[in-house]
Amino acid sequence: MKGKKSLGGFFASFTGLALTLILSFGLVVVLILFLSKTPGATIYAFFIGPFTNKYYFGNMLNVAVPLVFTGLGMAVAFKSSVFNLGGEGQTYAGGLAVTVVCLALPVANGILGGLLAIAAAAVLSGTIAGLSGYFKMKWNADEMISSFLVSSALMLIVNYFITGPLDDPNNNMLASLPLAKQYGMLGLFPPSKLNISAFFAIAGAVIVFLFMNRSHVGYEMRMCGLNREFARYGGINVSKYLVLPMILSGALHGIGGGLMVLGTYHVLYEGFSFGMGWNGIAVALIAKNNPLGVLPAALLFAYLDAGAKSAMLNGDVTFEIASIAQSFIFYFVTAQALYGLAHKRRRVA
Amino acid sequence: MRNSQFAIPLVYNAVEIMTPFLLAAIGGLFTELSGMLNIALEGLILTGAFFSVVFAAATGSLFLGILLGVLCSMLLALLFGAITIYLRANVFITGLATNLFASGFTIVLAFQMFHTKGNIQFPNIPRLPSLSVPDFLQRIPFVGDILFGHNIIVYITWIIVVIATVVIYRTPFGMRLRGTGMNEQTIVSLGLSPRRYQLSGILISGLTCGLAGAMLTIQLAAFVPEISSGRGWIALVVIYLGNRTPVGIFIASFIFGLASSFSNYAQGAMKVPVDFILALPYLITVVAMIVFAIWRHARTSK
Repeated sequence: MKGKKSLGGFFASFTGLALTLILSFGLVVVLILFLSKTPGATIYAFFIGPFTNKYYFGNMLNVAVPLVFTGLGMAVAFKSSVFNLGGEGQTYAGGLAVTVVCLALPVANGILGGLLAIAAAAVLSGTIAGLSGYFKMKWNADEMISSFLVSSALMLIVNYFITGPLDDPNNNMLASLPLAKQYGMLGLFPPSKLNISAFFAIAGAVIVFLFMNRSHVGYEMRMCGLNREFARYGGINVSKYLVLPMILSGALHGIGGGLMVLGTYHVLYEGFSFGMGWNGIAVALIAKNNPLGVLPAALLFAYLDAGAKSAMLNGDVTFEIASIAQSFIFYFVTAQALYGLAHKRRRVA
Repeated sequence: MRNSQFAIPLVYNAVEIMTPFLLAAIGGLFTELSGMLNIALEGLILTGAFFSVVFAAATGSLFLGILLGVLCSMLLALLFGAITIYLRANVFITGLATNLFASGFTIVLAFQMFHTKGNIQFPNIPRLPSLSVPDFLQRIPFVGDILFGHNIIVYITWIIVVIATVVIYRTPFGMRLRGTGMNEQTIVSLGLSPRRYQLSGILISGLTCGLAGAMLTIQLAAFVPEISSGRGWIALVVIYLGNRTPVGIFIASFIFGLASSFSNYAQGAMKVPVDFILALPYLITVVAMIVFAIWRHARTSK
C-alpha cells in the first residue's frame, strides 16, 4: 500500500489496522486459491494489477473521489451522534440535480454552470437529509429509519427521471441526455478518468476537518456527539444539532454524486452511484470519523475495487470478490479485541 | 374462482407479501431486545434464499432444502454474532459486513456453480404446499378468502409469532434476554452471561431470516441476485414501527404488506409511472412512521 506512514498517523492503532489488513488480504488469497484455476495470475492481478498501468491507477484514484465525500458525510453525522442511513439516495439525487441544472442552463459558462450545478446537488440532498433531522427534532421520529426510507423512495424517483423526462432517445442505455462538453472537468491522468474533482476531494476533507475541529459550530456539534445531555447543560442548543449535521451530511453526499456525473460520466445513468452510500459508512468508520483519515480510508476502498476489476479482467474470478474482501475488512476493522484496546464497547442504537 | 372484488385480492396478497417481513422482523426483535442493533437481516435473508433453493434442487426435497438453507443463514448469523460479541466489534459495521458478504458470496458461488450472474431457474424443485381447510371454513365470507389458501410458510410464520410472544414474555429465557437489553449488569449479577443472550438473539434472527429467504426463492423456483431487495431493512423499520412488540410488529408488517399489495395493483390499474408506484411502499411507511411519532409525541407531552 502507498503511504503507510500517513495511514499510521491517522488511525488510532496502526498495529490493529495492519493486523486487520493482513487478515483480510490473507482471506482474499485463500478465497482466490479456492475459486480460481490460475490462482497465481489472479492474485497478482488483484494485488499488483491496479499499479501496473496509468489507466488502472488513475481510475483507482478517481473511484476514491466520491468515496471521500460520502465518507465525510457519514463522519460529520457520526461525530454528532446522528445517523444518516440515506446516503445511497442522497448521492444518487446529487447526480440528478447536477444533470438537471446542466441540461437546463444555456451552455455559456462551463465553470460557473458547473459550480451552480454542484451547489444545486448540495442543496437538494442537504434538504432531503435535513428533513429527517427535522422530524427527529420535532417529533422524535428516528432519523436513521426515516432517512433510509426516504432514500429508498428517492432512488426510484431518480430512476423515473432517467427513463422518463431526461431520457436520451438516441441510445438504448438507461441514461439521460449527455451533458454539454463545457461542463466536463479537466482530466489529470489520461487515458484514465481521473480529473480535477480529486482536488475537490482533498479540499473537502481539509475544510470539513477545519470546520469540525477549529470552528465554534463544529465544536458544539462534537460536544452533542459526545454527550447530548452534557452539551445541553453547557448551554448548547442541542436540538439544532439534530438538523444541521443531517443537512451537512446530505449535502456532502450530494456533492459526491454530483462530481461523479460532472467529472467522470458526463451523463446520468441508472445506478451510477450504487454502493457509494454504504461504502461511505465503512470509510467513515475505518477513518474513526476523522475527516483527514477519510482520505486514506477511501483510497483503501478504491484499491479493493480496482484490484477486483483487474482480477476480473486478467483472471477468472468475478468482480464480486471485491464485496467479500470489503466485508472481511469491515468484520475486523472495528474488532477491538484485535486492537487490544480496553475501550468501552461503542454501541450504535 | 376468487371473488373479483377489489378488497379481497388486495388483502389476500398483503398477507402473502407481509410474511417475509414479519418473519425477519420477529427474529430481529430478539436481537433488538437483547440490546443489539441488527442491520444484518438483509444479508441473512439473502443467504437463506440462495442456499435453500440450491439445496432443494440438489436434494429434491423441499424440507431438506429449507432446513439446510436456514442452517446456512444461522451459520452466517453465528459469524456475525461471534465477531461482534467476542471480538468486540462495532455491531453496525459488522452488520454491514454481513450484508456485503452475503451479497458478494451468493453471486460468486452462483457464478462458480452455474456460470451466470443473472437469474437461475430451478424448474424441478417441488412446489410449496398450500394449506387446505374444510370447505365450510373456506366459505366464511371475507375471512375465509383472506386467511386460507396461502402457502405453508405463511402459517408457520403465524405459529412462530405466537411462540415468539410466549418466549419473550413468559419464559425465563425471554425475560433474561430483555434484561440483557435493559441493563447488562443485572444479568451479570445473576451470574449469567449477557453475551450468551445476545448471541442467541442473533441466531434466532438467522433462523427466521433464513425461512423468510426460503419463501422468496422456493415460491419463485428461481434465484435472482439481490432477491432480498431491501426486505431486511424494511423488517428493521417494522421492528421500530411496531414499538418492539410482537403484536406491533404484526400490525406494522401488515401495513407495509398492504401498501405493497396496493402498489402492485396500481401498477396495472393506474397510468402512473412504475417507479413512483414502486416508491409508494417506502413513502407510505415513512408517513406512517411520522404520524406514529407525532401521535406519541402529543401523548407524552400532555
